[in-house]
Amino acid sequence: MKKKENVFRKLARWTVRGLLGPQFEEKWFKKNEGPKEIVYKDGVPDDSELIVSPAMQVFQRFLERKFAVISVIVVLVMFAVVFIGPHYMPKYYDAYTEVTQKDLPPTLDFMSVPKALQNNIKMIDSYGSFSVGLSTDGEVFVWGATKLGTTKIDIGDIPEEVQNAKIAYVAAGIDHIIAIGEDGSYYGWGNNRFGQYENTEATLSNPNLAPVPDDVVNGNLDPVHIKKLTCGYQATAILMDDGTLYVWGNKQAYSNMDSFLGIDGEPKTGMKDVDFTLNYIVGLDSKQSSVYTGTRGLFNTARTNIGGAGEKMMDFLNGRKITTLTATTTSVALLLDDGSIALVGDFPADVVDVPQLRDGDYFTDVEGGTYHYTGLTAQGHVYSFGGDHYYQAEAPQVNGAKKVFAGAFQSYAVDGNGSLLNKWGLKGYLFGTDDRGANIAERVVAGGRITMTVGAVAVIIEIILGVSIGLISGYFGGWVDIFLMRVAEVFGSIPLYPFMLIMSSLLAQVSMSTDTRLFMIMVILGILGWPGFAHITRAQILVARESEYVTAAQAMGVKEVKIAFKHILPNIISVILVNMTLSFAASMQTETSLSFLGFGVNYPQPSWGNMLSRASNSTAAINFWWQWLFTSAILIFTTVCINTIGDTLRDVMDPKSTNDK
Amino acid sequence: MGRYIVKRLLYMAFVFILLTFVLFVLYHLMPANRAYTDARAELQGLKKGMTAEEQAAKFDELYLRYQRLYGTDTNNNVILYLRWLGLYPYYDGHYSGIFQGDFGFSYEHNTPVIKLVGPYMRNSMLIGAISEVFVLGVTIPLGIACATRKGSRFDRGTQIFTLIGFSTPSFIIYIIFIVIFCSILGWFPVSGIKTPGSNYTGMKQVLDVAHHVALPVICLVFSSLASITRITRASMIDALSMDCVRTARAKGLTEKVVVYSHAWRNAMIPMVSIVVGGFFGILGGAMIMEQMFGFKGMGLLFLNAMRSADYDLIMFMEVVYTFIGLFSNLVIDLCYGIVDPRVRISK
Repeated sequence: MKKKENVFRKLARWTVRGLLGPQFEEKWFKKNEGPKEIVYKDGVPDDSELIVSPAMQVFQRFLERKFAVISVIVVLVMFAVVFIGPHYMPKYYDAYTEVTQKDLPPTLDFMSVPKALQNNIKMIDSYGSFSVGLSTDGEVFVWGATKLGTTKIDIGDIPEEVQNAKIAYVAAGIDHIIAIGEDGSYYGWGNNRFGQYENTEATLSNPNLAPVPDDVVNGNLDPVHIKKLTCGYQATAILMDDGTLYVWGNKQAYSNMDSFLGIDGEPKTGMKDVDFTLNYIVGLDSKQSSVYTGTRGLFNTARTNIGGAGEKMMDFLNGRKITTLTATTTSVALLLDDGSIALVGDFPADVVDVPQLRDGDYFTDVEGGTYHYTGLTAQGHVYSFGGDHYYQAEAPQVNGAKKVFAGAFQSYAVDGNGSLLNKWGLKGYLFGTDDRGANIAERVVAGGRITMTVGAVAVIIEIILGVSIGLISGYFGGWVDIFLMRVAEVFGSIPLYPFMLIMSSLLAQVSMSTDTRLFMIMVILGILGWPGFAHITRAQILVARESEYVTAAQAMGVKEVKIAFKHILPNIISVILVNMTLSFAASMQTETSLSFLGFGVNYPQPSWGNMLSRASNSTAAINFWWQWLFTSAILIFTTVCINTIGDTLRDVMDPKSTNDK
Repeated sequence: MGRYIVKRLLYMAFVFILLTFVLFVLYHLMPANRAYTDARAELQGLKKGMTAEEQAAKFDELYLRYQRLYGTDTNNNVILYLRWLGLYPYYDGHYSGIFQGDFGFSYEHNTPVIKLVGPYMRNSMLIGAISEVFVLGVTIPLGIACATRKGSRFDRGTQIFTLIGFSTPSFIIYIIFIVIFCSILGWFPVSGIKTPGSNYTGMKQVLDVAHHVALPVICLVFSSLASITRITRASMIDALSMDCVRTARAKGLTEKVVVYSHAWRNAMIPMVSIVVGGFFGILGGAMIMEQMFGFKGMGLLFLNAMRSADYDLIMFMEVVYTFIGLFSNLVIDLCYGIVDPRVRISK
């Protein structure tokens, strides 16, 4: 009978075990086990052990190793994730880039509207990685990824005077926030490298930057008469009731900014609406019959839904007027005076089309994000459409909404009191984004598929070549053996990395699909790796050939080939299995190293190696730590587990090794 | 012994020719036509006032001349290869190839290849030799200690570390070290072999170089610690379970003698290829390390040659790598004979 341990004794025992080791634990905490009960069977003490087959024994001994079992589970899970995972990312594609989402740290807070704001929302805006919200009390909130790249600026540090003031309008650009106080005072913070919010000597002397207009800086605007405050990539626009338009910021980001700047220091007038796409400012002039860009023919083909055929703007409108416009990266949605929507510009491939409204319902407001639009109807329903890469255009059922706001990839529906009814869209990035704005978590899964496939296929090729050549060589001996072993030696003396580099730069010259290229890499890795297997197999065969069972088979007249493959091969399979596991990890490492150097798998195809290549720059490695840390941790973890399995297999299959670990 | 070496050298020559021929043919698949580019360039200077036909005729003439000059006036790969070796005459009858000491001309560096490699190899050898000494100095005692204390806490701890180190691709180790020592602590410079623009002499120069070389050496040492420790431990465990060790213990020899004289001598046999191979490997440079630190060694030279398609240089580097590989195999086999007297290499 075993005495039950109390908790304190258990804790003390574990501490001793952890700090000093099991031998102390045994010495100090003697187990109170009574004498072993003797089992009698047929009147004799039964101390027999069950005889199990060698394979079963290996399996049982393997199960005794905790780490090995965990490793097997981890590797299986990893395989499942990288091979089944891509089916759960239907919107993922290798070459995805998003300029507004570059180098974002891991966060899932893109949609976490602060508690204090949730019931009194006045407005919410976002352009890139962070969102800015304004409460009905005039308080400003910022959430999302607020650290701006390498600039060390945290845009979430709201300036003191903004916190103290009552704010009437806010808007967010890619790296700046503009706020207008209820007394007309002007605030801006964030990055000012392109004169986003402040006139400094450096920005004034730069001809490519439009300065902040004096009226704005001096606080001459009456917030009651502000119709719209909106920010673009690195630019801002304020539109007044009377059609006066103030625009400033980086002209290089918006090539047609000059058309909106007015003449001789006087702001442009006569505008009804304004917004920013990624490359153009779009406006609505007082005729309200076309999208004004200052460039002829741009955004002049309108259609009612994304899939539909375009018509010339004049024919399309047919007398109707455009009430407001709202812009995304490449397209503009126009709200017409009959409550319908017209679309101009280009859409990404992955879109949700404009919904069919209920009878008698019509749009009263449309807000644009980076790719999607969210529209509010007169009956208080909310619909999203447009780009849907992050499911931002799949609006839930919302009733009684009075206002909608669109962030970059998010939408918020708000009721008449300013309470948040619902929000949908992109929460953030678990592992952050890379320098092209792609989601690293998705690329880790897709890259794992490629890295593991390359490793596995390379090992399979190695085994097929190596084992059959080793078998033939070892079994037949003589000149066959000498010849094959010489061939193996030649292959073995090929310097791996230099040869791989030459081969992959040769492959780069040949035009072939990325998949064929990938397969060629696997084949080359396999062809360079087989001599190891051949040597091991041959050595094992030489031992096995002398054993009695082979002599017996020969005496019975079994064919040579049959003896080699049917009698000997099963006996050496354990050694091959061990080496297969270790080679798999080694192949994965070779592939990642080559891809890291830029000579293996190339962008846009992800691999765990080429995803890390940016970290070879020490500044990028420290500033964008998430771009290598997670990927390399997963890579190391996987290879550690695979190697653990290989090591344990070798241990448990070795009849000489004792049971002590 | 002498006959064996001669036999091996002949075999080496055969493999060398085979490998270089394959590489040569492969590399001639790359689209690069020096004669064409040079002829075009020369034509640019001449073509003023020429009609199109005259230009074409002139170009053909120039092209042929350059092809003959570079020895590319044939598509026969064997002839091209023999010319490269220096066993087949060029159009004008002269021989210029490896056997004449002409390894080609690096267009990227505008220098004959053979003159270019020296400083790079010196850098690689400097850093490689230092780190190799450190690696062997750490790993062999560590491996022996683990093997003699097999199963102990110390051994298991080391095993876990070496398993992780062994499973980590070297470039990740470099990234981690660069982030810690350059970016966070700021102890070491990120790249180069001396302070740019400095002209130190004497002790100061040594210290400056040491400061620059320190982190690459640390990285190299760490990236090869794990695997060599594991191999040492494994071969030492095998050696300790040999009958001769049991006999030695039974004779009452001290543990020290048993381990270092009987077991270690046997464990050294598999170690030979690691140690000798390691020392030859430093001639070829550490490609990834040199790439990451911008360290001007053989590996970086090769990578840059690959990137800029500097073919003569690539071919020469391949020759160097192949030769190092083959020669180190020979030396390893000879060393087996020294370490293990039972191996009779004279057969």
